[in-house]
Amino acid sequence: MNRAADQPEPNPLREGLGTRAVPQPCAIVIFGATGDLTHRKLVPALYNLAADGDLPPAVTIVGFARRKKSDDEFRRDLEEATRKFSRQAVRDEIWKTFAQSIFYHQSEFGDESGYKALAKRLDEIDITHGTRGNRLFYFAAAPDQFEPILKHLKAAGLNETCKGSWVRVIVEKPFGTDLASARELNRIIRNSFTEEQTYRIDHFLGKETAQNILVLRFANAIFAPLWNTHYIDNVQITAAETLGVETRAGYYEGAGALRDMVQNHLLQLLCLTAMEPPTDLSADSIRDEKVKVLRSLRRWSRNEIAANVVRGQYAKGAIHGDQMVGYRQEQNVNPDSQTDTFVALRLFIDNWRWADVPIYMRVGKRLSKSATEISIHFKKAPAVLFNKDLHDLNVLVIRIQPDEGISLRIHAKVPGTSFHIEPVKMDFHYGTSFGKASPEAYERLLLDAMSGDATLFARRDEVEQAWAFIDPIEEAWHAKKDVPELFFYPAGSWGPEAADDLLASDGRAWRRL
Amino acid sequence: MPAATETYSLGMPVDIGKIDHELKKLWRESEGAMTRASLMNLAVYSEEPGSLERNTQLMARITENHACRAIVIEADCNAEANGVDAWISAHCHVSHAGSKQVCSEQISFRLNGGCTTQLPNIVLSNLDSDLPLYLWWQHEFREPMDPQLWAWVDRVIYDSQPWRDFQAQMRLVDSAQAEAKQRIVLCDLNWTRLDKVRFALAQFFDHPASHHRFAKIKKVRLDYANGFRSTALLFVGWLAAQLNWRTEKTNGADKLQFVGPSDRKIDIEMRQRDGQPIHEVTVTAGNIEFAVTYAKCGDLLEISRGKAGEKRVPQLMPAGKNDPVSLMGEELMRGGPHHVYLNAVNCVRELL
Repeated sequence: MNRAADQPEPNPLREGLGTRAVPQPCAIVIFGATGDLTHRKLVPALYNLAADGDLPPAVTIVGFARRKKSDDEFRRDLEEATRKFSRQAVRDEIWKTFAQSIFYHQSEFGDESGYKALAKRLDEIDITHGTRGNRLFYFAAAPDQFEPILKHLKAAGLNETCKGSWVRVIVEKPFGTDLASARELNRIIRNSFTEEQTYRIDHFLGKETAQNILVLRFANAIFAPLWNTHYIDNVQITAAETLGVETRAGYYEGAGALRDMVQNHLLQLLCLTAMEPPTDLSADSIRDEKVKVLRSLRRWSRNEIAANVVRGQYAKGAIHGDQMVGYRQEQNVNPDSQTDTFVALRLFIDNWRWADVPIYMRVGKRLSKSATEISIHFKKAPAVLFNKDLHDLNVLVIRIQPDEGISLRIHAKVPGTSFHIEPVKMDFHYGTSFGKASPEAYERLLLDAMSGDATLFARRDEVEQAWAFIDPIEEAWHAKKDVPELFFYPAGSWGPEAADDLLASDGRAWRRL
Repeated sequence: MPAATETYSLGMPVDIGKIDHELKKLWRESEGAMTRASLMNLAVYSEEPGSLERNTQLMARITENHACRAIVIEADCNAEANGVDAWISAHCHVSHAGSKQVCSEQISFRLNGGCTTQLPNIVLSNLDSDLPLYLWWQHEFREPMDPQLWAWVDRVIYDSQPWRDFQAQMRLVDSAQAEAKQRIVLCDLNWTRLDKVRFALAQFFDHPASHHRFAKIKKVRLDYANGFRSTALLFVGWLAAQLNWRTEKTNGADKLQFVGPSDRKIDIEMRQRDGQPIHEVTVTAGNIEFAVTYAKCGDLLEISRGKAGEKRVPQLMPAGKNDPVSLMGEELMRGGPHHVYLNAVNCVRELL
């Protein structure tokens, strides 16, 4: 949304040709280049940008990984993956020129000489491909490899910039597993790169509707006066998926839903929903306001956690007529696993705007349907005139995925001679109103990183504040005594009954999705 | 509902006083199966015989990506008897999500005689409320420019490429702008035609280390197709406006000279040849040549830079298309004011 301090003077020929910051030529070095993320997301995203003409011609991709592979083999692998996973069909002539800028660099992550050779190769690419010394290091490797990679990048001088060039690093989640490890990771990164050079990616923020939350709130005057404790009864954020743990059991067993989804994606959505208007659209102005929300989250004491946080795990059940095994029966999962595949929370933001407004969050696997949305439930109108017997509230729903859009539930009189009132829904669907399909989140985020726009990336203090909120819950769950119960729910349901009770105890219910 | 299919027929004839009523009936009958969508009022005006059918075909394609209420008008201003015929129809497409039919409605009018008196009411009385009005004027402008109509227009879309007298047409546009208190955004499809080529050339200069090359530009060569000299001139106007060049002299119709900052001379050579409207642009700055040319496959641009005679590594970018649907699609996606266009026009207004 705004240019970073190291952005150059604008190009006069760009005026009027677009409203976004211009991405710069660079070499994108992907660590973990033979992995899933590179094949399924990163390279298809870069190809789509190239096919749409959004990628500067002088962008090269250098894959860094352990396996022996030639440039041509790497290109063939990526072509096959891109044909499979790209949102638009691959055109041979475009792929041919795109592939000319793809290279493979074989090295162990811990081999110093591999980084020296990389530095030499990048210098050569600068000359042959005009990447001008700009480097974007993408960490798509396992987190335990970050430290050796960062250390060797620094030792090879690859964290240093020449005059007029930049070096940036994109770090994939998870950003640690708790506050201490996040701080440690940030310390390790800071040893080699400054905070301004560090882009922590959360692909939820690259989604069109997530970005639209700010537009909805701050470009529409009608919502501003209502967006506070005086008019809002409660906020609900749901991220439900029908998928189970699939092939991620190894990672998920150690993470669980709270760490995997709430610490990053859901708290980010909450920040966008609850933050104060930023002073401008610069990355730091927006992130300053998001951090304030995280700092204002009420911390629960150990004995309050069971009353405000419900954890669950899916048992066997059925989804769309298919029988599903329970989590403990999944491959590579401990048969006595205590891992949470579902979490429901009641939060409070202790600031002037949100005082006493409960924020309910739920996230889970193997639920009834896949849907991510934020719903704002407004307070009831005074119980006079028409409202004596009305129980439904006005609800504003921001649908993140699928079927991105916004709807508003209001009350209307049913035609007829009696005064019968029913809720009706005003509905806006992105797909209906705008024919153009949204780009993939990674396309937007990669372009932003090349442009030096960090708005949609998490800052160090955001990550740490989020962990500071999550840690006491995890600690309570892993304590030796008085451990909050793990509730089981059948696959295909909306989670354990305890999650419904959480709201029922406040006289409320989850929104029906 | 016979009128609500993907068809190029004008749809169902309706009494002009009952258009609203008939539209409501149309949607009531299709409720549940189809979703009506509209982001704007798109009025299309033409005086060419047969344009109603042709524009209906265009609207069927434009509405695939731009949901709107289309008001398509064909006028025979010389007809002896005054009269208006009207039809309603819908253009329906399966949405990107693939789950539902999304429909845009079209109201078609054939006006006979008294065009200037009938047109404002035809447009204004059939607008979808609260949505902006885009007026696609396919004919040359002519006096009188109705003040009431122009005061309501948010964006006027025209194509200056076939204009016989650019100056006179722009004077009329200026008078419409005055009626609208300079609020109308001028959208010239002849300018939209240049989008991709401008984009391709601009990206050479994104890096600040390239900016010094602006001061070294000594020659620009453009190849344009027959009939697209005005397009080429707009391109030159764009370079001149953005880089602070001023006209020095013209050596024949296609050789121009500009003077840049610090009195540097820039030679412009325009060559007519077969191909795309702007087929090739080369900009020579010092010993480097920046080239944008249509690739053999036609819908891609090949871009390259290098010293003369040096082997180059060309890259490909989307070229865009020159048909009305593609140009309208580009234009409707863009939004925002068009100051850069006006600056470009002002730089070459005397030459157009």
